[in-house]
Amino acid sequence: MNWKFHFAITAAACAVLPFVVPAHSLTILVEALIFGLFAMSLDLLVGYCRLYSFGHAAAYGLGAYSYALILTHVPLPLPAGILLAVAVTTVIAVPIAWICTRSTGVSFAMLTLAFAQLGYAMLFRFRDVTGGSDGLVGIPRLAGPFGFDWFQSKFGYYYLVLGCLLGSYLLCRAIVLSPFGAVLAGIRENEAKTIALGYNTRAYKIATVVLAYGFGGLAGALYAAFAGFASPELFFWLTSGRVLIMVVVGGAGTLIGPILGGVSFVFLEHHLSQLTDLWPLIFGTVFIIFVMFAPQGIWGILTSRLSTKRDVPNSDGGKEASGAAT
Amino acid sequence: MNWFGFILAQCLNALSQASILFFIACGLTLIFGIMRIVNFAHGVIFMLGAYVGYTANVVTGSFLASLIIAPIVVGLVGMAFEWTLLRHLYGRRDGGAYLLLTFGLAVVLSEVIRVIWGVQPLGTGIPDFLRGIVVILDQPFPLYRLFLIGLGVAAAVAIWQFLERTRAGLLIRAVSQNSEMVHALGTDVDLVRTAVFGFGCALAALGGVLATPLVTAFLGMGTSVVIDAFVIVIIGGMGSFLGSIIGSVLVAFVQVMGAYYFQDLALAFMYLLMLCVLVVRPGGLLGKED
Repeated sequence: MNWKFHFAITAAACAVLPFVVPAHSLTILVEALIFGLFAMSLDLLVGYCRLYSFGHAAAYGLGAYSYALILTHVPLPLPAGILLAVAVTTVIAVPIAWICTRSTGVSFAMLTLAFAQLGYAMLFRFRDVTGGSDGLVGIPRLAGPFGFDWFQSKFGYYYLVLGCLLGSYLLCRAIVLSPFGAVLAGIRENEAKTIALGYNTRAYKIATVVLAYGFGGLAGALYAAFAGFASPELFFWLTSGRVLIMVVVGGAGTLIGPILGGVSFVFLEHHLSQLTDLWPLIFGTVFIIFVMFAPQGIWGILTSRLSTKRDVPNSDGGKEASGAAT
Repeated sequence: MNWFGFILAQCLNALSQASILFFIACGLTLIFGIMRIVNFAHGVIFMLGAYVGYTANVVTGSFLASLIIAPIVVGLVGMAFEWTLLRHLYGRRDGGAYLLLTFGLAVVLSEVIRVIWGVQPLGTGIPDFLRGIVVILDQPFPLYRLFLIGLGVAAAVAIWQFLERTRAGLLIRAVSQNSEMVHALGTDVDLVRTAVFGFGCALAALGGVLATPLVTAFLGMGTSVVIDAFVIVIIGGMGSFLGSIIGSVLVAFVQVMGAYYFQDLALAFMYLLMLCVLVVRPGGLLGKED
């Protein structure tokens, strides 16, 4: 049970982190963890089903706007608001997943992108509800339940986000290691064969898209509650692009890789965008280099070098030769 | 009120829109047909065409010159990209790698454009000889849009004849059907691929130059257009040339009519059209189900 040991050490290190970093870094730390969670949710699709979603911003935006709209109308305690936002995102995801999974590959990518852009357009269409290009501001983080107000401080919120991230990781890990996850791997490697074995792969894909939306929505709701505002940017295709870059550079199909990718991306973006306004160019180039020469991502490289650490779930994201038959 | 004239004007409007969309979608579908690659960067290539066309227009002072220069420059950029990067992924079985690579190109290229040309929208006026207004059945109609329709029809016929009648067109159709066999028969398939990729990019650039007088060149013009182009190609059937024409006309009509009669739902209509087609025929109107 080696991985439990590593997990415990990582969790403990993360829990100590707010005490050792300067207070102003806490904001960026929270955002990094939220983006890590967001990237991990996309990894369920990209890494495990090889469904390239170009519109995962829809999940993020849906979560954020659901939380924002609920909280600006109903004074709910923070955890209840977040749970409700996740529920709303998950419910909206069902028809989207049903439609998108009609197709695979490119059409899937374009359909997901189309839904995200549709959401983006809807924000401007219903501007009395969504605030249009101004977005929604002044989203509260209310205390409770039972007068529990720890999450209202930035310090406490960090632990909420950390808890959500670690919990989601454990959940996703359990999912991909379960028989359900084995079917997903079957879809990724050879969908025709999986169908021939008697699995209704469409249902599995719908379930995975909905799951990915749910976790993405959680990240979005956490972000809205933390930042206090939700802007149309969250739905924009660049958000989808950034998270896809994080997943691929971090290492698709490893869960941990995308989390690391997301976290380090936010830190690099924060620091590099202060130094140079060319950072999207740098990231784009780095992304191309990874696609060309290291499709297994950073975590894939690390785990194949340190082959003693083979206890990560599915570290074979880079073995492209075993890819789905086309 | 001459309602017939009005409807005619709307139709002409839609057709002029269709011809710009056709230039993008046609390149996209040709590239897909021959390489099974979906060029996500096609919208940014279109945008690059608009910007290069703007510069060419400023330097030479001639709109017609920019119509020639921009496609050549952008076509060369496309060929260089295919030759240096894309080509090395052909061995990979995972089709997603193309999607990711062209996506990376889209990110990099749109940043390069931002660095070179800045964030301000750049407009080129309609050239003098196309500036007039034509009165059709008592409805005034801009000459430039008629010019677009004419050019679109001419290009569609020319490309169709090129694919059907010339030896190069024959090779392209052959490679799209069975590239290994063509290769075995002694044709340099890689060269055909590079050429088609460059040709598709040049067509998109032409569309970009043509669109600039109507919408100005601005950052982000690539994103909306790449979605339109994909919707067209998905509706028409991936890789089908005729499908891209039908798709362009359908989408343009939905856009123009939708924008006029149901302003708020114009965008949704396009997706509804795509969904209807996909539900009935998952491979598109003229495509094969894969």
